[in-house]
Amino acid sequence: MSVDTHVPADDLRRALIAADPKLSKFNPLPRILAFDEFNTGTHGWCELIGNHDGHGNLDTVDVHMRDFRPPQLSSCDFFDIGTHAAMSGNYALKVATRPVTGHTAVAIRRLTMARRGVVQFETYFTYKSEAATAESSLGNSFGDIEWDGNLHPSEAQFGAFTVATDLCDGEGIRYHCVARYQNTDLDHNFTRRWMYPVVPEPTPRENLHNQENLSPTEDFTAPDPEDWRPLDEEPQFLCYNEVPTKVNWHYLRWQFDTRTRTNIELQVNDRIMDMRQVPVPAYPDKYDGLENLLNFYVSVRTHSPVRNFLFLDSALISVDW
Amino acid sequence: MRHALTAVLERNSTFTADFVTEPYEAGWAAEARWFVRTLALEGDNPGLRLTAQISPDGLHWCDDDESAEQVATEPGLVSMRVREFGHWLRLRATLTGGDPKAKVLIYLALKS
Repeated sequence: MSVDTHVPADDLRRALIAADPKLSKFNPLPRILAFDEFNTGTHGWCELIGNHDGHGNLDTVDVHMRDFRPPQLSSCDFFDIGTHAAMSGNYALKVATRPVTGHTAVAIRRLTMARRGVVQFETYFTYKSEAATAESSLGNSFGDIEWDGNLHPSEAQFGAFTVATDLCDGEGIRYHCVARYQNTDLDHNFTRRWMYPVVPEPTPRENLHNQENLSPTEDFTAPDPEDWRPLDEEPQFLCYNEVPTKVNWHYLRWQFDTRTRTNIELQVNDRIMDMRQVPVPAYPDKYDGLENLLNFYVSVRTHSPVRNFLFLDSALISVDW
Repeated sequence: MRHALTAVLERNSTFTADFVTEPYEAGWAAEARWFVRTLALEGDNPGLRLTAQISPDGLHWCDDDESAEQVATEPGLVSMRVREFGHWLRLRATLTGGDPKAKVLIYLALKS
């Protein structure tokens, strides 16, 4: 349901947004739920962790959901130039993996829905692999890249980042809208595709008696690579900017509809992808205790033994209710 | 109001050899305090020696001579403070004794 506004009021709202240097780089829906400039703090983006038992025993957390790493407020410091800084200020939210192939880091923000409708997540982001040292370097050749003065092996050492949700409506139906940018496949070859999973994320309850089959580097969103599909066959080239120490901020805008439990569209810079036909698998069981769950998470997953970073300068969550 | 942030760098992790924590960037913070909860410490006269390390780039590290090393010899909580540290922090842990095995939770509490 959209907010009932008269056209002049809508024009005024848009003019006010356009005149605000902080907001004018976004395209919010009528109601802004959250505006997170990470120059002023973490704004509720925190480490995701799996569930623990009634004794507070963290050994009972699923092994693939106990090490998603605490996000950092980063001034984007690098060994070659020192502080790069962010887009809106000095600090960005940095989500960082371990230097372990298959490791995933996840930051989550937890809200609930006051009504069902269109939800939009916008962010300015960048992604980098960790710069090498003489000791950690994997050489001048990696995956599809041979260092030639411009192309840098660091770009092929970045795996994937994901923007996703955890949603549950008043009828107890739980589902995830998910979009992943896969930079490289598991063999370090560039794919540069936007992907979505065709299965719902395995839950702690499903895994409770399946612990021996879990690995710490399991892809928790959808463990089987075969369960990921490209949105289309068109790669999207982003601005990695050659070396691991240059930061260029990209615009991302993603919409989904909690009335229909479907994606709407994903915009990343100059490309808008229609996601209306992307399936959003719901869990077969109804959920209690997650009434109107509205969680957003971002994750970064390395496909190489190199730390991968996802940086968010700022994020804006808006709705049409 | 001052900013405060607590990060959990290791969570119920078991170590049988020396280790360092993942780099943590915190240029915004003026003070930091490590908390190490040793959940289990096994071996022959085992010890867990904890040294704060600092870095200008998250890649190259040195010990922080200004902060006092801590040694855990039994399960419990130890703490050490770090100030004026530049922008990157990590903890270096040395296991001593015969066949040592330590299970730890490591927190980094930061304040602007």
